[in-house]
Amino acid sequence: MGAHRWGGMVVVGLIAAAGCDPPGKPRPGDDAVRPEQVLDFGKLYAQNCSGCHGADGRLGPAPPLNDPLFLVIVPDAELRRTVAEGRPGTPMPPFDQAKGGPLTAEQVRVLADGIKRRWHPATVSPAAVPAYAAASPATDGESSARGIVVFARACAGCHGDHGQGSDAGAIHDPAFLTLCSDQALRRYVITGRPDLGMPGFSPSFGRPAGFQPLSAQEVEDLSALLASWRKDGTGRSAAAAGTVARGGFPLP
Amino acid sequence: MKRWLRAVGSWFDARLKVREVLLPVLQHPIPRAAAGPKGWFYIFGSASMTLLFLQILTGIGLALVYVPAADQAYQSLQYLNYRQPLGWFLRSVHYWSGSLMVVMVLVHMTQVFLHGAYKYPRELTWVLGVFLLLLTLGLAFSGQVLRWDADAYWGLGVGASMAGRVPVLGPAVVTLLLGGPVIGGDTLSRFFALHVFILPGLLLTVLAAHLWLVLTRGISTPPVPGEKVDPKTYDAAYERELRRGVPFLGEALRKDALFSALVVILVVVLAAVAGPKGPSGLPDPAVQGANPRPDWPFLWTFGLLSLAPPGMETFLMLVFPAFLVLGLLLVPFVSNRGERAPSRRPVAVLTVLVGGVALAVLSYAGATADWSPHMGAWSGAPVPEKVVARSAPRELAGAAVFQNKSCRDCHALEGSGGRRGPDLSGVGARLTRDQLIDQVSNGTPGGGNMPAYGKHVSPAEMDALADFLVALRPAGRPPSRTPTQ
Repeated sequence: MGAHRWGGMVVVGLIAAAGCDPPGKPRPGDDAVRPEQVLDFGKLYAQNCSGCHGADGRLGPAPPLNDPLFLVIVPDAELRRTVAEGRPGTPMPPFDQAKGGPLTAEQVRVLADGIKRRWHPATVSPAAVPAYAAASPATDGESSARGIVVFARACAGCHGDHGQGSDAGAIHDPAFLTLCSDQALRRYVITGRPDLGMPGFSPSFGRPAGFQPLSAQEVEDLSALLASWRKDGTGRSAAAAGTVARGGFPLP
Repeated sequence: MKRWLRAVGSWFDARLKVREVLLPVLQHPIPRAAAGPKGWFYIFGSASMTLLFLQILTGIGLALVYVPAADQAYQSLQYLNYRQPLGWFLRSVHYWSGSLMVVMVLVHMTQVFLHGAYKYPRELTWVLGVFLLLLTLGLAFSGQVLRWDADAYWGLGVGASMAGRVPVLGPAVVTLLLGGPVIGGDTLSRFFALHVFILPGLLLTVLAAHLWLVLTRGISTPPVPGEKVDPKTYDAAYERELRRGVPFLGEALRKDALFSALVVILVVVLAAVAGPKGPSGLPDPAVQGANPRPDWPFLWTFGLLSLAPPGMETFLMLVFPAFLVLGLLLVPFVSNRGERAPSRRPVAVLTVLVGGVALAVLSYAGATADWSPHMGAWSGAPVPEKVVARSAPRELAGAAVFQNKSCRDCHALEGSGGRRGPDLSGVGARLTRDQLIDQVSNGTPGGGNMPAYGKHVSPAEMDALADFLVALRPAGRPPSRTPTQ
């Protein structure tokens, strides 16, 4: 009698097990996918971008992508071109297979378009924001001379009078500037790095009283000044001194 | 009804004489102590056999659907996993039952070794047992190949390369196994025949001989310290033991049946909860970033071969396994008399302990494979946010260079990244800026592990990278200094 009852329970258990899904049952989603067939933005971003741009598009060494102002001003074509071709001379490599990268053209498109879709906030008006790309690529001496004035007003408070570093790090530094494209410098001037507490062209916190947002011309001038520092030898020693001082260990 | 069945049964038995043959076999006497509580040591062999039969049953089921063709095998596995009702469960039971069979054979062998049951007059039983172990491992390997995924493909490639190193015969062996010099269209058919016909046929034949010896030479009594095996007197003493023995059909068979049933239940539960293994990535050599691993019974060889210096590879692939098998085969001839109790055989106990620890450590090393760079870390392992948050612009540029030059693939930061080189989280407190630049430019002195990157890093990149590395140190720790400063 007891055996019959046990047998019955086992049979019922087996029928129940066949009806529902035990945890070991494979789900089609677990399937291995060829690397070039991955078209999910989240996966592609985590595998290819998060190393430098941060797990959530911010707090990485490279310029943040999860930045509302940046996403408002950057043109779609520019995102696609940068992902596909990289920025020569900087640590941003090309990702398109045609340029020696690991991704197909389709994957590059998914990545570039997905950036805005994932982080684009619905309501930000692009009015009065300087354009993403510079109007004139030429950076003449006059423009960078005007930039000194803009720098004193907008940047010197944190980066020091000559950009040698103070509360914030040194930017009058050929190594840093060489690894930064002109476009990235301009973009930092406009958007700042909100994830690291650096204000962009308009916020007044950390700025002298009565600070007015930078005009398009001022953004241009400031970018020209930074680019001109790239070839300027004086920054090197200043930056090195800043590095040691920040170590907090008094030199003998 | 019952009477009618019995009548039919006797009609057949009068002609087939099954009872006459089978009953004495089932009722053959075994030593009395082996039917007592110590009989629980004797259950592993029968459990291995139960798992073998489960393998045959599930294997037949799988063979009904599986297509042993290079271009269709993967799809047929996916069909089993997703379309065929309970096909995934069949695959899962076959995998877990096979895995447990390897475990059970090893446990059985360890028990026989520790209890000295291989000594006179059971030397041949042991020798056949060693062949059964090799055949079981052969089935595990060929089964891994039939799971035609990236692990199977690369595992086979490694196995074939090893076989190719055999002097003189190497190329012929490879051609025989693969159906050509490289993995091709014929390969899977060969391994299907091997896994489904040749190896099981051999295994069943050797198993029959093994069981025949178990029946004719009997099972050993549980060892008693001080009771030594002496070939001159053993047979008479064992005869006396059997005369006061008990039939196998009884307590002993009940223990076997109970344990085998528990093992089958364990297989079913594991199969339902953990699911089938793979198929992992596609068996396509053109797929980048494949990270193949052998199945667990072979992880220790993966670990051993990866950690061995290149000069030792051929020895470890060809000579060492031959020695290992030869050693196992010679065990009953080296010691076929004397004490059987483990408490009086420290060398045997130590051998098991050292062997077990070595296998476990090498398997762990093979599973983690710290020597393999993490090829996706440069773009897929974020620089730790707290490092970014405290960094100056130049250090940030250096961090990007660190990622861009794939330093991260070998060097972890805060534990994430490759483990081939040291974790660099605190390197700024260990090396000075000049030492770091020297290390990056010239690599490990004397052609060591780290390549020289001097030609691949521009002056600006080196400046930034060095700053980033110097800044990598715990809060409050000063940068490293050289004594001359």
